[in-house]
Amino acid sequence: MRCAALAGALTMAIPAAAADFEIALDVRGVSSDGRQSFLENGQGKLRYDADHEGIQLGRLRAAYDQAFGETFAAHVEASVWDDDDKNPIDLTEAYLEYRPYPRAGFKTRVRLGAFYPPMSLENRALGWETPYTITPSAISSWIGEEIRTVGLEGQIDWLGTRLGHDFDLQLTAAVFGWNDPAGTMVASHGFAFHDRQTLLFGRVGIPQTAPGAPKKELFYEIDDRPGFYVGAQARYLDRAVLNVLHYDNRADPSVFEAEINDFAWLTKFDAAALRVETGNGWTVLVQALDGETYIAPGGFWLEWQFDSQSALVAKRIGAHMLAARYDEFAVKFMDDRNAPGSEDGHAWALAYTIERGDHWRFALEWLEVTSDVRSRPVALGEPALATETKIELSARYTLNGSF
Amino acid sequence: MARIDQATRVLALRALGLAALMLGAAPQTYATSLTVKALQRDGKPLVGAVITAEGVAPALPPAPPIKAIMDQVNLAFVPDVLVLPLHSTVQFPNSDAVSHQVYSFSSARKFQLPLYRGKPYPPVSFEQPGIVTLGCNIHDNMLAYIVVTAAPYFGRTDARGEWSAPNISNGKYRLRVWHPLASEPKDIEQVVDAGAGPDVVEIRLTRNLRPPPLKDRPHSWDY
Repeated sequence: MRCAALAGALTMAIPAAAADFEIALDVRGVSSDGRQSFLENGQGKLRYDADHEGIQLGRLRAAYDQAFGETFAAHVEASVWDDDDKNPIDLTEAYLEYRPYPRAGFKTRVRLGAFYPPMSLENRALGWETPYTITPSAISSWIGEEIRTVGLEGQIDWLGTRLGHDFDLQLTAAVFGWNDPAGTMVASHGFAFHDRQTLLFGRVGIPQTAPGAPKKELFYEIDDRPGFYVGAQARYLDRAVLNVLHYDNRADPSVFEAEINDFAWLTKFDAAALRVETGNGWTVLVQALDGETYIAPGGFWLEWQFDSQSALVAKRIGAHMLAARYDEFAVKFMDDRNAPGSEDGHAWALAYTIERGDHWRFALEWLEVTSDVRSRPVALGEPALATETKIELSARYTLNGSF
Repeated sequence: MARIDQATRVLALRALGLAALMLGAAPQTYATSLTVKALQRDGKPLVGAVITAEGVAPALPPAPPIKAIMDQVNLAFVPDVLVLPLHSTVQFPNSDAVSHQVYSFSSARKFQLPLYRGKPYPPVSFEQPGIVTLGCNIHDNMLAYIVVTAAPYFGRTDARGEWSAPNISNGKYRLRVWHPLASEPKDIEQVVDAGAGPDVVEIRLTRNLRPPPLKDRPHSWDY
């Protein structure tokens, strides 16, 4: 009896292994004059082209966090994009995290699984979404499309602000596989502007003339050579963050994988971002990306250089936020700006968002992308230059809770 | 804030009691008052600064310990600063729906409360004077301080930057001023003679305050 009471008391005192969930439904109303989208085998820059106006499913998302004991937790993110992907519902991220208690001013984190490298100061909201606009910058769109760490990442933070200093510092390093096709999308359709994150077991179309042509699989190991990235972050109080990252998937570009009909793309890039927030609701965010990707069919090296820069200004007034963003982007094939495979362009975005209570968020966005894509005349018989405009309304309902 | 005001009132009453006790025991000391006016570098009042007055001559025992509460509401510690006499205890309830994991690696008191909701743990006791910085291992943005003091008199400055001990015994006191946003090169302290010196002691920071933590950002953002 006493044992039972003691056991009962112990059970009461031990905190339950916590599990938190979140479900979000994001419905869109779209007006677009976009060219045939890259998602539909075209060379349009937008997720919703002129054939995909009206009511659309923006995203149905479910996230689940489960703690295991004191210092381990699993995080799973599932999404539905409703655009005939291989699986109707699939994962964008799934990882196990080890987070021991900070000691002597240092905090460590280890992640194992599939997740985003720590590089977007823009996509800071849950589900790797941007809170400022509906459509992220060219840089974040590309990361969401082609990049995922499937591997092991370690991170160490010096918590200076907890020790009476003004700064925190962070170093990150990761080893990963299954990202050998990274580069195939930026080479085939260049940069795009969309919030559609590629699913871990999903497929994405690329511009091609055959309507039923196979789509690309992006998270696949081809050459058994692990890639790596290293990053650093400095934070000034909670006001400013500077983030840098160097990524190299170390793929062997001469290896072809018949299973997915693609090469291992050797892709390297450097990314930097700075975000400053003020006490009166202003945010300024600048981002830059500079990289190159190669394949070497028969030992003949083909090179695409790509770069993008982005600047965003946002002003928050209570639950309201206004944001304006400018993006520039370019891809250069074989060092020739005019070769098919090269492109350049810029984009403007204006967005208004409002949070209503804990559950609703409404957003209205105007986006205009001007691009000069040199392969449009050759491959599709379209003019190279295009200006695509989209107005999009988003209504998102989020429900969260715990077990 | 209401909670700390209440705690301060209770302490003020106890301090009065202590002063009365000492008056009875030592007829050569007299009750006097001590007011500290804390100013920022630009002369504006320093609101919410923690003031402690420790007896130097004669040495005085710490104020009696109290039982305090540091709550967690809407992913923030409430209050953001607690001041406690030595040997006090603090309960850390979690009023949020999500779990928290509270820790401190400060030398004055290292502790950690494994992932929890509600109020599963006994209060934590604080046996050493110093600043204890609190964090949550899940929500990096959560930050609060517990100031543990061996001083018999202490409190926080009001909207005018003032704190008063209305009825303290004559003698020498070491005044210490601490503020979560202060970035002074060294600890701010000064010895004053209560009863012999001026009634109001003015203390001014030599450096600007750090900008305060940003408020009202949605919780769904990563910071």
